Amino acid sequence: MTTRILATEFDYLKPATLEEALKILAEKENVRILAGGTDVIVKMKVAGMTCDYLMDIKGIDALDYAKLDDKGVFHIGALAKLSHLEKDPVIAERYPALKEAFHLMASISVRNMATMAGNFCNASPVADSVVPSICYNAVLTLASVRGERTVPVEKFFLAPGVTVMEKDEMLVDIALPQPEANSGDAFIKKTRVRPDIAKISVGARVIRDGEKACFCRIAMGAIAATPAYLEETSALFVGKKVTPELIAEVAAHASASIRPIDDNRTTAEYRVAIAEVLTKDALTEAWRNAGGEL
Amino acid sequence: MTITEKKNFRLVGNRVPRHDAIAKARGEQLYSDDWVMPNMLYGKVLRSKYPSAILKGIDTSKAKALPGVHAVLTWEDVPLNQEVTKFGQMRDVGGGFEGLYKVLAHGKIRSKAEPIALVAAETQELAEEACKLIEVDYEVTEGVYDPREALKDGAYLVSSEDDTNRIMDTMIRMGDVDSAWDKCDLIVENDFYATPHDHAYLETESGMAWIDENGVITMRVGTQVLEHYRTIANVMKMPHTKIRNMGVPMGGGFGGKEDITVETFLCLLTAATRRPVKMVWSREESIECHSKRHPEYLHYKTGVTKDGHVVAQEVNIVLDGGSYTYCTPWVQMYSTMNGAGCYHFPNSRCTSVSAFTNNTFSSANRGFGATQTNFSYDRQMDIIAKKLGMSPYEFRRMNVLRNGDPQHTGFVPQGHVALTELLDVVWEKLNEVPKVDYLPDGRKFGRGIACAQMGYGRLCFLHDNSRVALRLELDGTVTLRAGVPDLGGGQGSVLAQIAAEEFGLPIEDVHPYVMDTHLTPLCGTTTATRQLYMSGNACIEACKPLKAALARKAAEIIKATWWPVTTEAGYEWEPDIANIEGQLEFHDRKIYYAPDPQKCVDFKTVVAHISNEGGELFNEGQFNAPAVEVPDLSDIKGQILPDMTYTCHGVDVAVDEETGEYEILRLIAAIDCGKAINRNSCEGQVEGGAIYNLGWVREDLHWENGITKANNFSTYLIPTAVDAPDVETILLESRGGIGPYGAKGVGEPADNSICPATVNALSDAVGVEFFCTNVKPEDVLKAIKEKNKKNK
Repeated sequence: MTTRILATEFDYLKPATLEEALKILAEKENVRILAGGTDVIVKMKVAGMTCDYLMDIKGIDALDYAKLDDKGVFHIGALAKLSHLEKDPVIAERYPALKEAFHLMASISVRNMATMAGNFCNASPVADSVVPSICYNAVLTLASVRGERTVPVEKFFLAPGVTVMEKDEMLVDIALPQPEANSGDAFIKKTRVRPDIAKISVGARVIRDGEKACFCRIAMGAIAATPAYLEETSALFVGKKVTPELIAEVAAHASASIRPIDDNRTTAEYRVAIAEVLTKDALTEAWRNAGGEL
Repeated sequence: MTITEKKNFRLVGNRVPRHDAIAKARGEQLYSDDWVMPNMLYGKVLRSKYPSAILKGIDTSKAKALPGVHAVLTWEDVPLNQEVTKFGQMRDVGGGFEGLYKVLAHGKIRSKAEPIALVAAETQELAEEACKLIEVDYEVTEGVYDPREALKDGAYLVSSEDDTNRIMDTMIRMGDVDSAWDKCDLIVENDFYATPHDHAYLETESGMAWIDENGVITMRVGTQVLEHYRTIANVMKMPHTKIRNMGVPMGGGFGGKEDITVETFLCLLTAATRRPVKMVWSREESIECHSKRHPEYLHYKTGVTKDGHVVAQEVNIVLDGGSYTYCTPWVQMYSTMNGAGCYHFPNSRCTSVSAFTNNTFSSANRGFGATQTNFSYDRQMDIIAKKLGMSPYEFRRMNVLRNGDPQHTGFVPQGHVALTELLDVVWEKLNEVPKVDYLPDGRKFGRGIACAQMGYGRLCFLHDNSRVALRLELDGTVTLRAGVPDLGGGQGSVLAQIAAEEFGLPIEDVHPYVMDTHLTPLCGTTTATRQLYMSGNACIEACKPLKAALARKAAEIIKATWWPVTTEAGYEWEPDIANIEGQLEFHDRKIYYAPDPQKCVDFKTVVAHISNEGGELFNEGQFNAPAVEVPDLSDIKGQILPDMTYTCHGVDVAVDEETGEYEILRLIAAIDCGKAINRNSCEGQVEGGAIYNLGWVREDLHWENGITKANNFSTYLIPTAVDAPDVETILLESRGGIGPYGAKGVGEPADNSICPATVNALSDAVGVEFFCTNVKPEDVLKAIKEKNKKNK
């Protein structure tokens, strides 16, 4: 194994349009899509990933965008880079937990290359940008020559490295709905050193209706085979007067409901222990950001 | 103790830009991997698939048949496959100190780092492909991965060349430990563990070699030991005149480039192919296959009186030498010497034993055996202070070594012992911020302090020396030549600074040519924190006769020589040389007659006069360190190292008691450097050392039965710029060292006392003792939970 060379044979393709790219996906076997390349190239060098065709989509300028549509939905194109999104004023204003996730991801040099869509398609259980996207009810658009379909982010992942995408499909757009008034959110990540992959990450978003929450989404990274939406735990927070006791109860439930593993970054035991602390902190912060008091 | 006389410095002590700083800042100084040559091949090492096995056979035929592959070499192709390890010493010390250097695997495979075969091919990809085609027949064996297991009867034998796993035993004692325990009011026993540690240098082991037009195998390889050319020549069965290394002044070493790395492999491949060969290890290969800091298991038993005086200490150390001897015996000497620490124990005994295991070999790493014991003895002191109800500062201050106190071998160092001053300055600085129980953000606060000693200069029985050459140019500038390996520490530049100071020239007037085995005088190794001490002194030696000649000539030119000197006959007008030297000063590119500074002459005018008259404008000076005989290892006495450098560190931490996460709030690093020569370099060493040693607290190689699981920088995590705290550096300048102008060495001592200070602070914060150098948030949280459970 060596990181110095790319010791695998493949044909390099560089389509100029989305149509051309989708046609390649439909017609050829064993195609890998190259966007930022910060995961794909590393996997090809050291993790035995192979392909017959490496399709570089960086030439498809139409996929490089981050913009609001006329319905107020924010769209992020497949080629939008993390470093651009980190500085995007709409994200800063509307989706601060996502901005925080971008800011804490990897190193500046990686963020200058990596795309958000790539972070999704790599389908790591730890993917930082996925966790807040679950909280924001993001919707993904998958395109193929057969047409387009949309998938809610929490239904996108099946297993580490595996998604619901068919072999001829490509993730082209990530849509984030307009946040409701009185909503608040938070993202917390723990690492060994600053630019590291998370030991565990927690995202939370709530909508406040007086002293109660009428909506809650808690998501976690690095505690299961895929980034996880803690649906049952989230439901516990809704419809009750928000108190420190309620937050503690929900946090304990979160911790009890996960079954993480040991790995190089930390232990299952530690993940279970701090899942409770981080859920508590994330909920508290999200509630306060929603204008709630404790 | 000596305090070097005061002198008005013009350059020494300043922040002087290094001669190579601009090139490095602009990226114009090339790394090893940047060099290419026409017709160049790429070299690659095939490493063992298993950490423990017997090599039954190697079939290279398929690899050799691959088009574009020009050489596939195994042990049978090496002219001398087994040599004795040397580290540039000028004298054979034999005994247990010089172990086996085996070039390519033969017999038992001792670790996963074992090189099986070498390949040279047209491209990196082909070299990689050829390695895959080499068929190796292994008989996999069980192996042994813990030195304590390796030392037991019937343990798996790591080596096929030795009949034991035991590498060396040493012992140092003072007073009578066994009968001293009765005098102690409190006896504390603890076991400590110091983890392996990687150097994580900027450039991995790399370089290139080619055969020059006269048949000399010439290399550009970044190394800390140019003198390895001798061993390499022996391996090649070539004369020492025909193996040359020009060095690469980049990449960092930290001890990891003290052993031979790519040199022999490159020479073998270039000799076999008659073409230039480049070899660059990947980060994975580097982390898996170069040495690590010795993992050590340390048992401490310490006795004190109830009023806080240390009485007796017994230390037993087991070192994991890994697969080959390399620097293990030398590192072990440092551990044993520093076992009892920088405290004045009237009775002490330290025994140590090292063993082979099937782990990657252990060897030099900044701190060299002193850091492992430093962690342990300064944790032990902290634990005892708490049990006595004393402040960690007061307890240390009462017991640290002072001027005139002997080391545990009975030797009294000549240099100044600054431990009390260092403790005072760090404690005072720490207490500028009042200690609190909790911070306003809810985190628990902790404060820790630790001190240390570590030698500078090599072990005295190696009879170390260094040489520096100077040539006065006709325009009044100075060419300096020194075979000083400088991988970024500034060891070359500082010599120019010393020469410029001596000649009264601005720094830009002295240019150093460094690091060439055959064109620069050999300065010895860049190890053991010895370059400034050894080569700095050699540089001053080199200056002396030139300055005397310049002074004589200047005196003549400015008619300063005609002052009266008392003689038996009354007086006469011919002064002696000593008087001339004392009366003439070198500064501002001029030579002045001190009693009457109006009388002066340009430096270059004096050089021109000497040149015109056929005088010598060059000199090579040598400096010899104190030399002793090899000690009796079962009862080491006397002087082992030339002198000691002392450090003290203070750390404030904030601990999140719910997650175990902690943050270093402050890191105060104090050192007695004797005299800072280049202040930037000196502070750089102290700050770099602090972060290096702090990294040891969190870095983890994830060793599992001889396999290094964290083998790159996404798994083996070193502190990044955002993780590193600001280091508040305090340089004490006692002028009490034996280096130039009273300087002491700082490079390795700067890598002591941070780890124990940090762990002491963590223990202070959470009220739990930690016994391993590695303390992660996971460990802190677990300890807090266990403590809370116990208290319930």
